[in-house]
Formats: sequence, structure tokens, C-alpha cells
Amino acid sequence: MADVDGAVREAVIEALALDDDEVTPDSTLMDDLGAESIDLLDILFRIEKSTGVKIEAADLGDYIQGGIPDEEFSDENEIITEKGAEQLHKVMPQTDPSQLAGTLAADEVIKLFTVQNLTEMVKLRADGVAA
Amino acid sequence: MASLPEPRLRVGVDLVGVERLERLLAEHADLHEELFTAAELEYCRGKRRCSEHLAARFAAKEAVLKAFGTGLSQRMRWTEVEVVAERSGRPRVRLSGSVAAFAERRRLSQLDVSLTHTEGMALAHAVSVWQRPAPGDPPASAPR
Repeated sequence: MADVDGAVREAVIEALALDDDEVTPDSTLMDDLGAESIDLLDILFRIEKSTGVKIEAADLGDYIQGGIPDEEFSDENEIITEKGAEQLHKVMPQTDPSQLAGTLAADEVIKLFTVQNLTEMVKLRADGVAA
Repeated sequence: MASLPEPRLRVGVDLVGVERLERLLAEHADLHEELFTAAELEYCRGKRRCSEHLAARFAAKEAVLKAFGTGLSQRMRWTEVEVVAERSGRPRVRLSGSVAAFAERRRLSQLDVSLTHTEGMALAHAVSVWQRPAPGDPPASAPR
């Protein structure tokens, strides 16, 4: 297994045509680094190539939501619930549930996803594959 | 007579580089099925500028999910937003699976999409109209 931290970092840098010093573990893929969905596809393919871990872009949503039904994850105004915010904290430990619950729009969630969060997801999948 | 609440309008737009999508599709054979339905692939492969049509469809899926306010965060698959061509050539969106369920749950009443593409770029614009609950209606997000 290749070094996951290095593989994810390399994939992000190459897919987004960034300089090495522009990417830190705390960089959010979409807001800080400007990734669009097609960029995510490119990043995930590059990770698969270097680590053998296959993640579909749509899996990101599953991973972030953690199996919580849509109607429990966000309310009728598409705002993240307390339960949703607790789940977000599990996969994005840098987030504060008390700040997000009742304020964060569902379509803003992916914007909080960092390089480190993606790295942890890849490691988890890699462990799952190896198990 | 009590009037119904004003519906809510939401738009989404997406721009896709044709060459970039073409490269990703060429490098990853199974990406075709991850992104497009069989009918979409058949339609685009029948066109002279297939890559542009595929890029426009990918942009449309993204634009629709943006107009839904969900993006990738609600477990949706790209194939669940299908662009079909009417006889006139006008594109229409057909929803299925979790995207269709989301649309029903949140009371989507209208959805329209417009596509355009050149040799280099494809763009799609989606407009969605959502009905607000009338007084006495059950909550839109109530589990079924």
C-alpha cells in the first residue's frame, strides 16, 4: 500500500494543477482549493491508481451522511439537524456540531470536506479492503 | 379564499471542460456507467460531437443537483438525473432513485434545463420550482 497521506496530497495537487505549498491537510477541497465535481472525479481516480482504493464520487455523500436518512440529516429547509451535525463531526472532526446544527445548509456540507478528511476516508477504505 | 404559499425558485448552473471529461472517460472505462444512463450513452454516441454532448449532460446533472441544493451530499447518483431529448430536440430531465424520492419529499413541482456546448466547454442551467406546504399539510420532510 502506498503512503496514503502522500498519495492523496499528490492527487489533489495534480488534478487541480496546484503548487505544492498551496495544499495543506486543513485545506477544504471545494472552497479553499476550488475543486468542482469533475475535479473530485479526477482526484479519486488518481488516488485509485496510486493506492488501489476505489472510491466513487457519490460515495463521498454516503460517507459523510453515515447512513442517516435524508429527513433526519437535514430538515425541510435543507438545514443540518443536530443529529446531522453530530455525524459530520465524526467524519470531519474539525467541525463543531453546536455551530452547525440548525445553521448549515445541506449543500454547504461538502464545502467543509478537507484534504485530511479525504485522507482518513481513503485509509478507512484501505483498511476495509485489507480486512 | 386562502391563497397557496408562493412556490420557491432555485437555479443551478455548471460548466464542464469537454476535453477534460473526454480524458477521464478514456482513462476509466467504467466511468461511462457511473455518470450516464444507457439511453444517454446511446444518444450521445449517435452524435457527431459525442464528447460535447456527454459533457453537456454531465453539466446538466450537476446543475440539477445544485438547483436541488444538495450537490453530492445527499447520496445521489449521477445516473439518477437523466437527460432525455424530446422529439423537438429540447432536453428534459427524468429523475429516478434517491433523487426522485428527494424531489417528491421536498415537493418539486417543476424542473427545466437548458444546455449549450462548444468545442471546448459545455454549460447547463437548471431551474427548479418547489411548492411550499399549505397550512395543514404534513411536513415536507416527514419520513414515509
